[in-house]
Amino acid sequence: MRKVAAIFLCLGVAMILAAGCQKKSENVKIGVAGPMTGDQSKMGTDFKNGVSLAVEEWNGRGGVLGKKVEIIIGDDQHDPKQAVSVANKIVNEGAVGIIGHFNSSCSIPASDIYVRGNIPMISPGSTNPQLTEKGYRNVFRVCGRDDQQGKVAADFVNGQLKVKKIAVIHDKTTYGQGLADEFRKALGENADVIFYGGIVQGDKDFKGVLTSIREKKPELLFFGGIYPEMGLLVRQARELGIKAPFMSGDGSIDPKFVEIAGAQAAEGTYLTFSPDPKNIASAKDFISKYTTKYGEIGPYSIYAYDAANIMLTAIAAAKTTEGEKIVDKLHSMEFNGTMGSIKFDDKGDVTVAPYVVWVTEDGKFVEKWKP
Amino acid sequence: MLLQQLINGLTLGSVYALIALGYTMVYGILELINFAHGEIYMLGAYLGIIILGFLTAAGLTAYSVPLALALTLLLTVIFSASYGFTVEKIAYRPLRTAPKLSPLISAIGVSIFLQNYVMITQGATDKVFPSLVGNAGFSILSTRITFLQASIIVVSGIIMALLHAFIRKTRTGKAMRAVAQDRSMASLVGINTDTIISVTFIIGSGLAAVAGLMVSMYYGLVNYFIGYSAGIKAFTAAVLGGIGNIPGAMFGGILLGLIESLGSAYISSEYKDVYAFIILIVILLVRPSGLLGRDAEEKI
Repeated sequence: MRKVAAIFLCLGVAMILAAGCQKKSENVKIGVAGPMTGDQSKMGTDFKNGVSLAVEEWNGRGGVLGKKVEIIIGDDQHDPKQAVSVANKIVNEGAVGIIGHFNSSCSIPASDIYVRGNIPMISPGSTNPQLTEKGYRNVFRVCGRDDQQGKVAADFVNGQLKVKKIAVIHDKTTYGQGLADEFRKALGENADVIFYGGIVQGDKDFKGVLTSIREKKPELLFFGGIYPEMGLLVRQARELGIKAPFMSGDGSIDPKFVEIAGAQAAEGTYLTFSPDPKNIASAKDFISKYTTKYGEIGPYSIYAYDAANIMLTAIAAAKTTEGEKIVDKLHSMEFNGTMGSIKFDDKGDVTVAPYVVWVTEDGKFVEKWKP
Repeated sequence: MLLQQLINGLTLGSVYALIALGYTMVYGILELINFAHGEIYMLGAYLGIIILGFLTAAGLTAYSVPLALALTLLLTVIFSASYGFTVEKIAYRPLRTAPKLSPLISAIGVSIFLQNYVMITQGATDKVFPSLVGNAGFSILSTRITFLQASIIVVSGIIMALLHAFIRKTRTGKAMRAVAQDRSMASLVGINTDTIISVTFIIGSGLAAVAGLMVSMYYGLVNYFIGYSAGIKAFTAAVLGGIGNIPGAMFGGILLGLIESLGSAYISSEYKDVYAFIILIVILLVRPSGLLGRDAEEKI
């Protein structure tokens, strides 16, 4: 017995030593953070896959600055508190750049840590305006902003659907409520918001609130939030006999949404998102590589891939891993994104953020309307 | 609108009541708050999906949906009950004579273990329960009731009535009541208390599994941490009705469902979880033993 214990102890010590060695390795480390477990883990996994693909390509070409690139994965479980501790961990492990996070409510507090650690951050999926409004020079995003997104949704409702009675629901998160607010603001005088209220993220029963909405006979229901709640809302609304179409933003555009709601209930749901990469010639190469390796491409896989490429290009151009220099390059250079060239403005937002409206047809998402 | 909200609340409440029964029965007999009970409910939901998947692969679902669902229910209850039985045997029985805090901590350990066990074996992402019955239903007085909702209410009602009859009318039920009153006296008159405790865990776990299966069909979405919030709510329901009291758990569960439903409809859905706990605090202040709770003499 004692011998076995001794062996285990030795193994344990060896492991600690090995971990210690790893830390001193000369690789260039890139952090990738998002919800890797929990109910939004699909998005986190898409991030991880997108970044891994980019990093493998760079390593295949000999890495960056003559060193191999290594990924540090951080799981924020879409919890802001967790996001801050993950951010600290990534900074302490010596990452020179970070791709993440997904939820705006995580990206915003985590950005403080990255600023303090003086490393550049590129979010592939946080769309809340606040993220880049704080005046931090090293915070960037490759996706659009909710004020742009809400505007496109409102234009579609006013100009195309021409409906008047709209119910707006949100999930009380920075992203969800932000998007709902921007949508309501952009609707202006043309439509009547007959209901505005929040639900609890992670809850499963929304029949109470949907029943009150049903009484007001809405012509459209807008939801600011993520796909699990969106799926449940649509499903339960149909169960209650609400026939009006639903509309939501980029957080809901995921095949899981249709799976949860059921294809029949999800039919005709409108979603604002960027254009379909499958229709863009320059993305073909990425899509085929990604699908052979990881299966179906997720909504944010391409953004994570682009963000990682941009980060590594900037490091290569700066010829150093010093935060300041990389940030300078990120601000001044123009990058080749998968879906077209990407340039950041002074705030760190992309200069062109094309949002379009998609519709759910036979359980698939189809591009429907361009503003 | 009020009628619709009552139906929504009743559906939710029946499920809470089924889970609350497990808490209350175990507490009645062992004075142990079985924190792993919510996890049995979660296991029931997962087992339902897995068993239904097997039956579908075997072609039974294509042959007859009701038959497949009935068989799923039966197998889910059997498997979950065996989980409950095993948990009691491994985690609580060795601690029967230990201080009261020890089994409680053991219960928390089991809960954490089961959550992580399911997360690792089944993955951290949401599982979707195949929609077999769709959202078909009927309308009365502009109130829409799906068949699924109706069956949740009816099935829960039947099960609770059966349980009540079982405890009041059968020999085993009588033995359970005796063990709840005084364990050492019960063993002196020849009742095998260990068997009775096992039976209690089996019944409680079976009820939780029924609730888990019905909820996963109703919402269509299952993940490894649904047991946590459902467990807390059901525990609240049990305390609300008077923990240890079986009609109290049924009543508390349904009351909790109605409060949540009406609160989110007429006040605001943003604070849905708050209403239930406000009521709980008020009741505990006014009636510390719960709504139907009596003094500790007769607990079950």
